[in-house]
Amino acid sequence: MTALPDPSPARVLIVDDHPMVAEGIQSILESYDDICVIGTLSNGRAVIDQLETLAPDVILMDLNMPEMGGLSTTEIVLEHRPDTRVLILSMHDNAEYISSALSHGAMGYLLKDVPTDEIKKAIDVVMSGQRYLCTGAQGSIAPKDTPAREALTEREQTILLQLAQGQSNKEVANVLDISVRTVETHRKNIKRKLGISSTAGLTRYAMEHGVLQGTGGDF
Amino acid sequence: MLRRLPQLALSYAQKLTLLAAVPLIVAVAMIAVVVALQSRALAEREISLLENQLIEAKKAELRNYVTQARNGFYFIYGNAAPDDSAAKAQVAQILSAMIFGEEGQFFVYDYDGTALVSPRQTDRINTNRSGETDSEGTPVVDELIRIARDGAGFHSYLWPKTTTGEEARMITYVTSFPSWQWAVGTGVFIDDVLASVAAARADVETRVQRTFVYIGAITLAALFVVFGTGMLINLRERRLADAKLKRLTQRVFDAQEEERGRVARELHDGISQILVGVRYALENTRLRLAGGKDGAQEPLEKGIASLGEAITEVRRISRDLRPGVLDDLGLGPAIKTLTEDFATRTGITCAFETVVFRNRLDNDARIALYRIAQEALTNVERHAGATHVAVDIRGHRKGATLRISDNGRGLADKNHARGSAGLGLRNMQERMEQLGGRLDISETQGGGTTIAATVPLSHMLTPQSKSAPAPKANPKVAAE
Repeated sequence: MTALPDPSPARVLIVDDHPMVAEGIQSILESYDDICVIGTLSNGRAVIDQLETLAPDVILMDLNMPEMGGLSTTEIVLEHRPDTRVLILSMHDNAEYISSALSHGAMGYLLKDVPTDEIKKAIDVVMSGQRYLCTGAQGSIAPKDTPAREALTEREQTILLQLAQGQSNKEVANVLDISVRTVETHRKNIKRKLGISSTAGLTRYAMEHGVLQGTGGDF
Repeated sequence: MLRRLPQLALSYAQKLTLLAAVPLIVAVAMIAVVVALQSRALAEREISLLENQLIEAKKAELRNYVTQARNGFYFIYGNAAPDDSAAKAQVAQILSAMIFGEEGQFFVYDYDGTALVSPRQTDRINTNRSGETDSEGTPVVDELIRIARDGAGFHSYLWPKTTTGEEARMITYVTSFPSWQWAVGTGVFIDDVLASVAAARADVETRVQRTFVYIGAITLAALFVVFGTGMLINLRERRLADAKLKRLTQRVFDAQEEERGRVARELHDGISQILVGVRYALENTRLRLAGGKDGAQEPLEKGIASLGEAITEVRRISRDLRPGVLDDLGLGPAIKTLTEDFATRTGITCAFETVVFRNRLDNDARIALYRIAQEALTNVERHAGATHVAVDIRGHRKGATLRISDNGRGLADKNHARGSAGLGLRNMQERMEQLGGRLDISETQGGGTTIAATVPLSHMLTPQSKSAPAPKANPKVAAE
C-alpha cells in the first residue's frame, strides 16, 4: 500500500523449482543492503503454506513449477495477503504471458535472462507500488493494453462454476478457505468481465459455453 | 443407471449385412407364399374343371343308357296295360340281361321300394328296400323313387362293388315307367375319376412344395453371395486399412526422424557454437586475469552477451518444438500468439476471437486444435491467396470449436486439395477423428474457406479439476 520508499529492507521470497536459478538470484540480491532474502521455495503450494509465517513484501515467482504454477499461486497469495507484490520471473518472452501475469494480479514481469541489476531495479519499482515490465523485451512483451474482453483467471473460473452450481458466497468461501469478502470481490470481477449482472445469467453463460456440463456427480 | 446391452451392439458391417439380408429374406418369403397360393388356386380351378367334365361325361353316358333302354322297351310298355304282369315280367327279364362292363347293370324298384331287377345282387330281388341308406346316411332307394316320380334325374351315393365288396361312390340316372310305377335306372362307379383327381391334387401339392424348395435354395444362394461379398469387402477394407496404417506409421517415423535431425542440427550448429564461443571468452578472461593483464572485462562481457544469445536460441528452438504458452496458459493465448506471429510474418491481417474461459481443454484436444490452427494458417499462407483470416475458438454446449475462415480462393477449382494441403487436411481430419471430434471444411460465400474443428464435451475440463485446492489442504508437499 505504501507508495513511499520503506526504510527497512524489502523482504523478498524467491520461488523457483530450479535450484541453480534460485541460488543465483539469491546470491546476487544478497549483495544489496536494502533487500533481505527471507527464503527460497520450490513450488506454489509451499508458498501458500508458509505465506503467513514468512510475510514477504515481494515474491519473485517462476511461472512453470510442479504442483502449482506461478499464476495460480499468485492469485491465492493475493487473496490472503493482497499487499504482496508478485514479480513473475520467466523464460518466456511472449506477450500472452505478460497479460496473463498481470490479469492474475502480478505487479511485474521479468525475463530470467535480463542483466541482474534489472532484477534489483524491478524490486525497487514494485516496492514503490508501480508495475514493472522488463526492458529487455518491452517491445515484444508490452501488453497491448486492455483486450476487448478480459479472460477469467483460474480462480474466477472455479468460483463461477461454484456459483453457477448454486453455491452461496459463504459456501464458496468455505470450500476455498478464503473470506466471504474475497469471494464477493471475485464475483464482482467475474460479472464485470462477462458483462452479466445476475447469478442466473452466470449459470446460463456457464451452460452455454460448456463449462457446467460434465461437472455433475451423476456420471 | 442404464445398463448397456453388449449383445445389441452390432458392428457396422453386421448392420449392413443385416440390412441386406433381412429384406431379401422377407421379400422371398412373401414371394414364395404368393406363388404357392396362386399356383394352388390355378391348379384347383383346372382340376375342378376336369373333374366336372369327367363326371358330366359319365352322366351323359348314363342318361344315354337309360334313355336307350326306355326307348327299347317302348313297344312293350307302350302297348301294355298298367297291370299287365306278363309284359312287366318280360321287361324285367330283358333288363336283367342287360348287364355291361364289370359292374354295369340296370335296376328296377317299384314305387313301394321293392327291388324288381338287380341282376348282380339277386338276393335283393322281391325284397323291400325302402328306407335303405348308404354308410354315410344318404337315403338311396327312397331318393331314387322320389326322383323317378318327378320324372328323371341323377343321384350319388356309396355302393359296394360286386367284384370286391368295397364301397365306392356311384352316380345313378333314374327314370320312370309311370304307369307301371317303376323306377328304372343304372349307375356307374366314379371312384376312378375321384382317384385321378386326387392324384392330380397331390401332384400339384408336390409341385408347390418343390417350388418352395427351389425358392429356398435360390435365396440361400443369394444370401451366400451377399455374405460372401460382404466378407470379401470387409477383408479388402481391412487390408486397405492395414496398408494405410502402415503408411501412416511410416509417415510418423519419417516426421520424427526429420524433426530430430532438425533439432540436432540446430543444437549443433547454433547453440553448440555459441557455447564454444563463450568458453573461449571465459578462458581468455582467465588467461588475462592469471597474467595480471588488463582487459579481462572485455572478453567477460562478450561471454555474457553470447550466453544471452544462447538463451534466446534455446528459447526459439523450444518454442518451435512446442509452444510453452499452450501448456501454461491454454489454447486461447497460444492461438492468439500464433495469429499474431502469422500476421507479422505474412502481412495477412488476422482477427482472433475467443470467450473468456481459459485452459478448459485437456491436453490432447489442446494440442490437436493448436496443430490444426497451425496447419490451417500454413495452408492459407501457401495456397489461399487471402488477405484476411478470422480465427475463433469457443466452448459451447456440445464441446469446443475452432473455426478458421479466410477470404481466399477457396478449395473448388484447385488441385491443391490433392497435394500438400490435401495431406494437411487429412492430418487435421485424423487428429479430430482420434479425439472423437469432427472437421468440417466449407466454402465461404464469395470465396474463401472455413475450417471448423470440433472436439466433444468429453475433452473439456472443469475448472475444479485443474484449479488449485485450498491452502493447507496438503501441507506436506515434496519440494522438488
